[in-house]
Amino acid sequence: MDKLIIDGIEVDPDPSKSILEVARELGIHIPTLCYHPSLPAHGACRICMVETIWKGRSTLHPACTFPAWEGEVRTNSEMVRKARKILLELMLAEAPDAVEIQELAREYGIEKTRFRIKKEREENRCIQCALCTRFCEEVMHIGAIGFKGRGYRRELTTPFDANSEICSSCGACEFICPTNAIQLSKITDRKPEPLLSEYEAGLMKRSVINIPFAQAIPNKPALSPEYCMHFLNDGCGVCQTVCGPQAISFDQKEEFVEEEIGAIVVATGYDLYPILNFNEYGGGKYKNVLDGLQFERLLSASGPTSGKVLRPSDGKEPKRVVFVSCVGSRDPENHFPYCSKICCMYSAKHAMLYKHAVHNGEAIIFYIDIRSDGKGYEEFVTRAQEEEGVKYIRGKVSRIYENPDSGLTVMGADTLTGQQLEVEADLVVLSMAVVPTHGVSDLIRKLKIQTDAHGFLTEAHPKLRPVETLTGGFFLAGTAQAPRDIPDTVAQASGAAAKVIAMFSGSEIHKEPIIAWVDPDLCSGCQICVPLCPYSAREYDESDNIVIVNEGLCEGCGSCIVACPSGAVQQRNLEDNQIMKMVKVVLD
Amino acid sequence: MPQLKSIKALEDLRNKLNKDKDPQKPCIALCAGTGCIALGAHKLVETFKKELKQRKLDRKVDLLVTGCHGFCERGVIVVVRPEGIMYQRVQENDVSEIIETTIMKNEIIERLLYEDLSTGEKIIFEKDIPFYKHQQRLVFGNNSRISPVSIEDYIAIGGYTALAKVLSGMDPDEIIEIINKSGLRGRGGGGFPTGRKWQSCRDAEGETKYVIINADEGDPGAYMDRSLLEGNPHSVLEGLIIGAYTIGSHEGYIYVRQEYPLALKHFTIALEQAREYGLLGNNIMGSGFNFDVKVNRGGGAFVCGESTALMASLEGKVGEPRSKHVHTVEKGLRDNPTTLNNVETWANVPLIINNGWEWFTGIGTERSKGTKIFSLVGKVNNSGLVEVPMGVSLRKIIYDIGGGIIGNKPFKAVQTGGPSGGVVPASLLDLPVDFERLTEAGSMMGSGGMIVMDENNCMVDIAKYFVNFLKDESCGKCTSCREGLIQMYEILNDITEGRGREGDIELLEDLSWILDETSLCALGSSASNPVKSSLLYFRDEYETHIRDKKCPAKVCKALITYTIDQEACTGCTLCLRQCPNNAISGEVKKPHQIDQGKCIKCGICFDVCKFNAIIVE
Repeated sequence: MDKLIIDGIEVDPDPSKSILEVARELGIHIPTLCYHPSLPAHGACRICMVETIWKGRSTLHPACTFPAWEGEVRTNSEMVRKARKILLELMLAEAPDAVEIQELAREYGIEKTRFRIKKEREENRCIQCALCTRFCEEVMHIGAIGFKGRGYRRELTTPFDANSEICSSCGACEFICPTNAIQLSKITDRKPEPLLSEYEAGLMKRSVINIPFAQAIPNKPALSPEYCMHFLNDGCGVCQTVCGPQAISFDQKEEFVEEEIGAIVVATGYDLYPILNFNEYGGGKYKNVLDGLQFERLLSASGPTSGKVLRPSDGKEPKRVVFVSCVGSRDPENHFPYCSKICCMYSAKHAMLYKHAVHNGEAIIFYIDIRSDGKGYEEFVTRAQEEEGVKYIRGKVSRIYENPDSGLTVMGADTLTGQQLEVEADLVVLSMAVVPTHGVSDLIRKLKIQTDAHGFLTEAHPKLRPVETLTGGFFLAGTAQAPRDIPDTVAQASGAAAKVIAMFSGSEIHKEPIIAWVDPDLCSGCQICVPLCPYSAREYDESDNIVIVNEGLCEGCGSCIVACPSGAVQQRNLEDNQIMKMVKVVLD
Repeated sequence: MPQLKSIKALEDLRNKLNKDKDPQKPCIALCAGTGCIALGAHKLVETFKKELKQRKLDRKVDLLVTGCHGFCERGVIVVVRPEGIMYQRVQENDVSEIIETTIMKNEIIERLLYEDLSTGEKIIFEKDIPFYKHQQRLVFGNNSRISPVSIEDYIAIGGYTALAKVLSGMDPDEIIEIINKSGLRGRGGGGFPTGRKWQSCRDAEGETKYVIINADEGDPGAYMDRSLLEGNPHSVLEGLIIGAYTIGSHEGYIYVRQEYPLALKHFTIALEQAREYGLLGNNIMGSGFNFDVKVNRGGGAFVCGESTALMASLEGKVGEPRSKHVHTVEKGLRDNPTTLNNVETWANVPLIINNGWEWFTGIGTERSKGTKIFSLVGKVNNSGLVEVPMGVSLRKIIYDIGGGIIGNKPFKAVQTGGPSGGVVPASLLDLPVDFERLTEAGSMMGSGGMIVMDENNCMVDIAKYFVNFLKDESCGKCTSCREGLIQMYEILNDITEGRGREGDIELLEDLSWILDETSLCALGSSASNPVKSSLLYFRDEYETHIRDKKCPAKVCKALITYTIDQEACTGCTLCLRQCPNNAISGEVKKPHQIDQGKCIKCGICFDVCKFNAIIVE
């Protein structure tokens, strides 16, 4: 078979591919403007022109649409460069404000076009490659934009130049435009809703398809179907076309996996009480009022600002940061009575790190009292106060106002001096209360673990069994049980792990002998006891019309005994007549 | 009319029609083509009908309202048969005289006869008029013999014989061989061999195949396809059905301009009649072959005459071309194999089938066979539609048929091939007109436009005119055509308005090159022809415009001044009175003056002056 020779490299011809595709596989660069792998080749910009030599005749063809037939192809010959130069000159005249075209032209040694520059509009960036219209129509399946007119009068617009009702403001047109010529605001008045990174605490945008956070396990991107245009509009699928190893599958769904397990450690963690609950502090309303986790990301070298402390409203470095402790915690009237335990220490840490980042900055912490009960904690706070010059003001903040320049006024009281205070701040960090992870209630209902009034999981015994639950095989670790800091969490988790290992080490599980049993002669099979059992230890036996007890699950709580109308249930080794005899012995 | 269920039924019908017809019965054939309609043909028809009825002649005399005869310059044309007497420039008040003198008394009306331009001799018979005498009207000739809305007229003159021949058991490969051997080439502009096109389409894989009539004639001044569809729609349809049978298509389309209402009407009637007679639909003439045609009206974009743009438009998309590396015969309409041919190409097919390829190859030149219809317009005496064998010289077309240049001025050039064609100068007047020779001369056959120019045409202005048309009609998809043409226009405009600079010609050459080499479709790559060919033959005119800021043809207003020769002016005040901007002053019988500040260079003074006192410089 005759060969295809591209710039001297011999390959097998493959008419199912274009010259451009074959050249790219060979690492040969051909400039393109109207080409995108997820769209059929359009052949409009003509910048990818290459010289083909067939039967001794040289002709120019666009590499994007020309099939990779046999013959010789030159991608950068004199003829090719001449054509690209003139085309670039035409584009420079058409879109004089397109920086990308200017740069490409410069690569071809063109600083100025010889042609007349278009002046109809204030800014001419569009080179009419039609990537946007084709993307909107063919990839996104929307078709909100198109061209009106023809020839040199052709212009990108919406139908009737009106605000587009069908535009989904997905922003694909803006994204795909090679010359930055599109403004979504001119297409629709619908505002695009940025998808905010959960990991970055909403401080930066994220892609619909992303690796959720650094060092995620598995360290692979995942797709959020609730935002993905493929799932929303049966369109897009660009990720699939651009992924070289073909790793994208839209068929992967959440699935239920059934595993036989011997123990469960519940370590569901915590959430911060939403900042939105504090209207008086401008939570969620003022851009420069953050919660502790957001500020943590702002300080992080891998965070949205690469570790520079810059406030969200305008990206300026805040010169004074106010930290407010106990926001939601220790506030039994309005929010939660408990202490969140970690805020005093992380506020001190944040204030110190801020001072390290902004040397001339000022950090002020409003506190009720400082709870630094841990090894070296008190010394840490003292260091913050004395060495780093963090100002501690004892008192609560009543209100925060935003000033026109995005500065904030923090109003509060200094309870040591009894004075009302007004502090100007560039940034405020609220130490929000620690609350159970949202959605955890569903899980604990399944596991039948008790919680306290605030939703933290209850241990079997506060002193004697702090990591176990009343249900055998279920253990607790970390802030699922109560607010606690990292060392405490690690210690408790280690305890829980040890308990699991202890349980697994024997060949049998030892249980309290006091469990329920059913007298088959007395049980009428009414099944009143079945739903009452908190451990799902009771099953109805249809053949004998009685209820039987699963001895492995029964914890001997006695609920069934009280409920049984016929007195058929007794607790083994603690039956009524045994108790009566004991009572009699005592009385005798 | 019962359906023609077999080929014999068609023959029986034809025999009956011809038997019933008395060849000696007087017949008034009246041209009602678009040109003659504009000159009042409809009124004439009414008057003829009324007057014939009044004289109780309406049963004794046939009134045949036909499509275009081609001699549009001399409309309205009336031919009295069987003698073949032709009256030209007939008006409403001539009707009664024609009936009384010619029909009733068999006498000639001298006044309405055509007068030979050179000899001044009156010519009685249509066949003797040079305009017709030098033509070979194979495709177009039947226009004057039939009513375009009567399928029976068409059948009577032998219509659908070719289809019958094909359906009576001809093998499609045999048909393709005939078309191949005939050397028929596309009449729409490209000149691609029709047989090869059909062969590729027949060989292409696919269950569904389409055939399309391209009736999106968009060249300014060209109207041959229009007149053929208006005057003889069945001939085009017959060709299409034969083509469909050959390639194995059961669905056809006609893409016709919305601006051609009469063509649309007549073709739609033709389709209805063909269905009624069983020449379209299922089991055509008992052959088992099924085929029907849908009509699609185009919005009038020039680019939709390009095959892929036309198909995109048929699909309901924006009429923009796509790359044709994979041909439309393989992937055309809706990605199915499609054969698209021009109106005139389809109309040639029945002729070849009926008369054989040997007959067809006897007409024309070595590589361009058959005849071609040209739309002869511009500064020529006899403008109209002319059909000549390929290879006839430009001189014969312009002088023998066209009657020479108006006012006997010297011939300067002719633009062939429409706006994407080029100019051919006087030095090439003896050029034989065929596909190759025109391309060699830097122009092209195109769809057959011919615009004749004399010394009063400025070649830069002409190039500007065509580039202006093309820039407006560019679809705008590819950079080369969209931006190349507007820049080309701007430069030409500058040159004609006195702002030409050194280097402009080189810029035009660069733009021509980029259009040729990098445009997406053939309309873009041929768009440079007007500039290239005029630069080739009339480069000095460009240079004079740019360097001397003068227009040798005295057309470009910015480059000319009108003054009055003070010696020649008699002070007749004619120019003064005619000047629309009151730029001329002067007393009676004293030489006048032109105020250059006021003069708008309209040229009226020049035209009206009887003493050649107006000087244009």
